[in-house]
Amino acid sequence: MNKFLLKISSAALFLSSAALFSSASSAADTLNVYTYDSFSSDWGPGPKIKENFEKECGCELNFVALDSSVGILSRVQLEGKSSQADVLLGLDLNVMEAAKQTGLLTTHSVDTSDVTVAGGWNDTTFVPFDQGHFAFIYNSETLSNPPTSLKEVVENQDLRVIYQDPRTSTPGLGLLLWMKSIYGDDVSDAWESLASHTVTVTKSWSDAYGLFLKGEADVVLSYTTSPAYHIIAEGESKYKAASASEGLYPQVELAAMMKSAPNPALAQRFMQFILQPEFQSVIPTGNWMLPVVESSEPLPAAFDSALLPTKNLVLPAKEVAKNRKIWVDEWLNATTR
Amino acid sequence: MFSLRLYQGLTPAILGVGLFLIMGAASLAALLRYSELSNWLGYLSQPYLWRVIRFSLWQALLSSGISILIAIPVASCLVHRRFFGRSFLLQLFSVSMVVPTIVAILGLVVVYGRTGWLSQLFGFQIPLYGLTGILLAHVFFNMPLAVRFLLQGYDLIPSGQWRQSSQLGFSRLSAFRLIEWHYVKKALPGAFVLIFMLCFSSFAVVLSLGGGPKSSTLEVAIYQALRFDFDLGKASFLALMQVAICTLFALFVYRIAPVNRQDVSLLSTERYILKDSFGAKASDLAAMLCVFLLVFPPFIAIFDPVFSATFFDTLLSSSLWKSVMVSLQIALPAAAVSLLLGICFGILARFCVGRKYLSFLPNKIEHLGNMILMVPGLVIATGLFLLLRDFGWGLQSSYWIVVWVNAVMALPFVLRALMPVLYQQERRFRNVYLSLGVRGWSRWCLEWTLIRQSVAQAFGYALLLSLGDMGVIALFGSQGLVSLPLYLFQLIGSYRLEEGACVAVVLITLCLVLFYLSSRLIGGQKNVKN
Repeated sequence: MNKFLLKISSAALFLSSAALFSSASSAADTLNVYTYDSFSSDWGPGPKIKENFEKECGCELNFVALDSSVGILSRVQLEGKSSQADVLLGLDLNVMEAAKQTGLLTTHSVDTSDVTVAGGWNDTTFVPFDQGHFAFIYNSETLSNPPTSLKEVVENQDLRVIYQDPRTSTPGLGLLLWMKSIYGDDVSDAWESLASHTVTVTKSWSDAYGLFLKGEADVVLSYTTSPAYHIIAEGESKYKAASASEGLYPQVELAAMMKSAPNPALAQRFMQFILQPEFQSVIPTGNWMLPVVESSEPLPAAFDSALLPTKNLVLPAKEVAKNRKIWVDEWLNATTR
Repeated sequence: MFSLRLYQGLTPAILGVGLFLIMGAASLAALLRYSELSNWLGYLSQPYLWRVIRFSLWQALLSSGISILIAIPVASCLVHRRFFGRSFLLQLFSVSMVVPTIVAILGLVVVYGRTGWLSQLFGFQIPLYGLTGILLAHVFFNMPLAVRFLLQGYDLIPSGQWRQSSQLGFSRLSAFRLIEWHYVKKALPGAFVLIFMLCFSSFAVVLSLGGGPKSSTLEVAIYQALRFDFDLGKASFLALMQVAICTLFALFVYRIAPVNRQDVSLLSTERYILKDSFGAKASDLAAMLCVFLLVFPPFIAIFDPVFSATFFDTLLSSSLWKSVMVSLQIALPAAAVSLLLGICFGILARFCVGRKYLSFLPNKIEHLGNMILMVPGLVIATGLFLLLRDFGWGLQSSYWIVVWVNAVMALPFVLRALMPVLYQQERRFRNVYLSLGVRGWSRWCLEWTLIRQSVAQAFGYALLLSLGDMGVIALFGSQGLVSLPLYLFQLIGSYRLEEGACVAVVLITLCLVLFYLSSRLIGGQKNVKN
């Protein structure tokens, strides 16, 4: 009996220690940045960026880590105007319009003329912080004739493909738009052809990439920058990104300021900071993406293949926002036929 | 019989159950506020929705059916035979359900995949992606769980019956037919419904191993509505739909299931050995073979990274231990809350047992506790979040939401562990307690030695489930709240698959240790229940 009481009381102790937890701080000199978990993890770019920014602003930068980039948006939508968030870091091109329509975001005053995103950047709500392209990754030791176009990925019935579900994952949505931008109205047939040699469609990037690394597929949907991770962190150069003659679909990650930001001055300052070398130089080997401004220091050689010139296929954000549900249904109907 | 004081004693229990109900209903209502009735017909007319429901029902029925069919001979074998590693096997069985899904999926792939052990050793490959893969994964998660539930049924068999069957020289088959089956079949409906619900709402397993969007569950649509579309109305509609389907299923099962009637004879842990036979040996061998083929290999694959160099580097990282602390700070209070709620439910349900106008209630009360499993954690958490926001409590309360949601999500498991023994105590001693006027706290003190094993198991389950939780904490993530499973997902989410696998080993080992400790500390040293 006593031991049971002991257990209960130790649980009570834990309960009281819980008061120590608070997920966002509201002190005057604190900046709350909502981001996705791998960005703020110990091995991600977060800690270094925090250090660099705190050095110059004399404030505290507090990362609130959410499970995914869509998680950031739905979190502030849940919180509404009472949100403690100052800056959202980690939205992307595909949810850009939806994010704008929530009315929770405000404009920035950052000069984005130096941004190297294809086609330039002149949006007044979002500042891009890194970029890359979606691509199929293959193991060059086991796949001797890699695909050279998306059409080949779709049509080669011997190729075992894993990709992510566009209903639950950002790369999955990227593929949906990539396919749409190439096939247009004929996309249903293409999906059907792809479905017949698809191993599986996973919930998230991690599931898909994990299955691929265990040898379950010939190609997996990921980013052009993925091989750089294997080269730099593991010294492994067998993983390569397949090129696509039709062009690649870009992934541009974005930051925006909240209208209700408790600390708007600091938030503006952070938005400026995003395009500075102290932020951008951490991106390549921290977030495994490409910076969005020219840097004085050259990128590691491992990124060479990601830098190859390619045709940039991109659908207008408004069109994406309007048609996303229709296109997802199109995919669903074609693949479950 | 109906004295006022009798009912007064129930007040705390009613308050506990009431709190659970109010919180649950209010969270769902907070979501439903955003829903428009006119849209509902639109959702219902989508053929894909019905295809998903049909598929979910089918795979969940198969998964839970197969899990239970295998579990029956395995449980019988574990009761009658003592062999080296038996108690470890039972410990392992208790943690299978908390293995993070992605870890289990990769474990299955290592065994059954294209370049897996099966194809390397025998050059033989099964079509993993599709129904086979889903079933393999669900049996891996749930068959051990079913065995544990059935063993609880076995625990209620009075020793006198064993003694007699031993004296009469019963064979294993006749013992099973004449004694065991009558106890097993009481545990079956509860276990079946619980596992069915777990499989029906399974998410990552169905998507990853299903081989395409043909295999999907309602949970996927709910996730999509909540996260990608931020369509709260649709999410709450789909959640209600899931609750309705599972409730219908549960009602159907309970209708054809035998009524819960317990014996009043004495129990003891003494063991009587039955006559062995070739048939008994063969069936036990077959049962163990199933375990060795279905449960062991993925576990070995999961524990494989222990021998890698990365393992020790992972152990040395301070973030790992920080996340272990966070996990404990969430899991311990959540388990305590869950246990308290479970006891409230138990007291209320057993009070109604055998009373003239209330005897229809116990199953309903139990089912009320189970309902929570049909509502996705994400939906409960979102509803609660909206509710608290309306009260003006913002982020500061996120820790408490995580604790509360974890506690209620573990409730069905707590109830399964707690209810049988509570009912039994009630039947045996109600009149004695009543005539002696033993009530409330003093009654608990008397009962404690008899029920502590089950309490320990209930607490252990709640602890494990909260420790393994991923969905709820991900929604309320923040810098201070990186639990062990979240840490694992962060690693895997940024190419660090090997380190993630090592963290999974730490997580499972932690679960094993905590489950053991909980049965030692709460269950008592002498009667560690396996």
